[in-house]
Amino acid sequence: MAIEGVDIVKAAAFIGAGISMGLGAIGPGVGEGMVAAKACEAIGKNPKEAGLLTRTMLVGQAVSESTGIYSLVIALLLLFVV
Amino acid sequence: MGELGKLHQLIIPFFGHNITINLEVVLMTWIVISALLLFGFIAGKNREMLPRPIQALGELIVSQLYGLTEDALGKEYAKTYSPLICALFIFLLFSNWLGIIPHLEEPTKDLNTTLGLGIMGFVIAHYAGIKSKGFKAYAKEYFQPIFFMMPLNLIGEIAKIVSISFRLFGNIMGGSIIILVVSHLVYSVALPPFLYAFFGLFVGTIQAFVFTMLTVVYISVQVK
Amino acid sequence: MTVDTQTIVSVAAYAGGGLAMGLGAIGAAIGEGYTAARANLAVSRSPENSGEIFKNMLVGQAVAESASIFALVIAILLLFLDVPQPTLLKAAALFAAGISMGLGAIGSGVGSGYPGGEACFGISRQPAAASQLTTNMLIGSAVCQTPAIFSMVVALILMFLNLGNSAVNPTWAAYLGAGISMGLAAIGSGYGGGLAAGASCAGIARQPKTAANVTTTMLVGQAVSQTPSIFGLLISFILMFKTFPATGSISAAMALLAAGICMGFGGIGPGIGNGMAAEGAVRWVARNVESAGDLMRIMLVGQAVSQSTAIYAMVVSLVLIFVL
Repeated sequence: MAIEGVDIVKAAAFIGAGISMGLGAIGPGVGEGMVAAKACEAIGKNPKEAGLLTRTMLVGQAVSESTGIYSLVIALLLLFVV
Repeated sequence: MGELGKLHQLIIPFFGHNITINLEVVLMTWIVISALLLFGFIAGKNREMLPRPIQALGELIVSQLYGLTEDALGKEYAKTYSPLICALFIFLLFSNWLGIIPHLEEPTKDLNTTLGLGIMGFVIAHYAGIKSKGFKAYAKEYFQPIFFMMPLNLIGEIAKIVSISFRLFGNIMGGSIIILVVSHLVYSVALPPFLYAFFGLFVGTIQAFVFTMLTVVYISVQVK
Repeated sequence: MTVDTQTIVSVAAYAGGGLAMGLGAIGAAIGEGYTAARANLAVSRSPENSGEIFKNMLVGQAVAESASIFALVIAILLLFLDVPQPTLLKAAALFAAGISMGLGAIGSGVGSGYPGGEACFGISRQPAAASQLTTNMLIGSAVCQTPAIFSMVVALILMFLNLGNSAVNPTWAAYLGAGISMGLAAIGSGYGGGLAAGASCAGIARQPKTAANVTTTMLVGQAVSQTPSIFGLLISFILMFKTFPATGSISAAMALLAAGICMGFGGIGPGIGNGMAAEGAVRWVARNVESAGDLMRIMLVGQAVSQSTAIYAMVVSLVLIFVL
């Protein structure tokens, strides 16, 4: 079985994409969970502001998700462009 | 075990492309739709001040979901969007529960169904956003915080469709595969009813609610 | 030196068995240690209830141990499995079975220690609620085992799978990927489910009257926290049951392995995050039971959003399997 250079580069790109998205998902997952936990605490303390707190939580989560989206972009670039 | 990955498809050639229709999914979707129409017809017929049980059930569903929409969107938008939200929730609920009846399968097990519903929610949310804020203010949000973040913001919005539809698909598909495989491993003794109760009824209800809530939330983020 | 296939299969099975038990022992040991530590604290607070606390600790530890018992079963099966037709593919499948079970037992083991510990500590605060606490602890830590059970199912399928005539080259990576995907993805969900169950035991000890609401919130939160491990299971089933055409290229094999790695790691963070969200909601349902509905709703939305990265990982895995 002859192994060509192109084949190895593609293999490395696939593994790289997997690792990029896999490891990149850990941080946002935990971070967004923390946001949700604190939002629950805030609603427990002040139930009247539930609507406002939900929106604040969503905005915070959207921001902390951006690193996950960067990982997704890099993974897709590795799969389709490189 | 051979049932895994078997699909009944109708493939129509169309100008060099193939249009594939998953017949089973279409049939199951129609079963859900006709069950819902029947339910709506019976619950809405001969309405009385003292509601009969089935009318009470219908009123309960509608009023609960109306309250939910009102909490998230406010009074003015709730009137517009609560019928959509209500229809979405009961459609998903019936769809996710359909698998517990033998020989029937959940239409939400097919990615086409969930992706279609996800795109529908996306389009409605962005239409609502443009309508309430005007196009200029809507477009300006994509250039926050700096202009060159535009492509990433765009991908972030599109990723929402992916996440909402793959969540439902993954849960229902995963659940039905677990039921199939574990039932096969234990020779269908004792365990399957509990698996159906957990993955079909419990997880199905939660995921239907999550999908509906997220659609409401996406609309509310856009209009406010 | 020539090595025949039988030897390679034996090497893979023994290595897999060792990994299954070695990794599988990590979680339960930590979890049970936590339970015992909290029980000691509880006895020092109220020595008069030491009998009740001791009993509860033993029951909790027995449940927390089940993840490592699954690992033991798989390890013993791997050691004494008789393979009638040894192939290289079987070797990969046996090794992957060990990895799946070993990694999969970590999260559930650590997680199910929390409800046990909090229940013991709770008995010292509210001795009257002891039976409620024990029931809730048993429910919580039993649900915690779900990801470990998924891992065991994957390991059993990998061990007893009828391989037919699949091509060795990309398929070995598919089996390895299936094991890694399920094993890693189970870590987060198991741990997260434990956080929710622990908070619910602490909550019932604080307000025994809210037990029904707290248990419901816990169960819903745990069910949603299982989602990343269900995604891991989905990917590993696709990898195990899809037939891949024979190829000589290394990139086709690496794509399948990468799919497993991607979904596996991608499931850890969201699983833990979902557990944290559920923990927060359960804790505050116990303190403010009037807003239980609001809390449940915000918990579900928060969990759903924090799952999105696991979903991106699943999408990348599906692309790696089906598109490339």
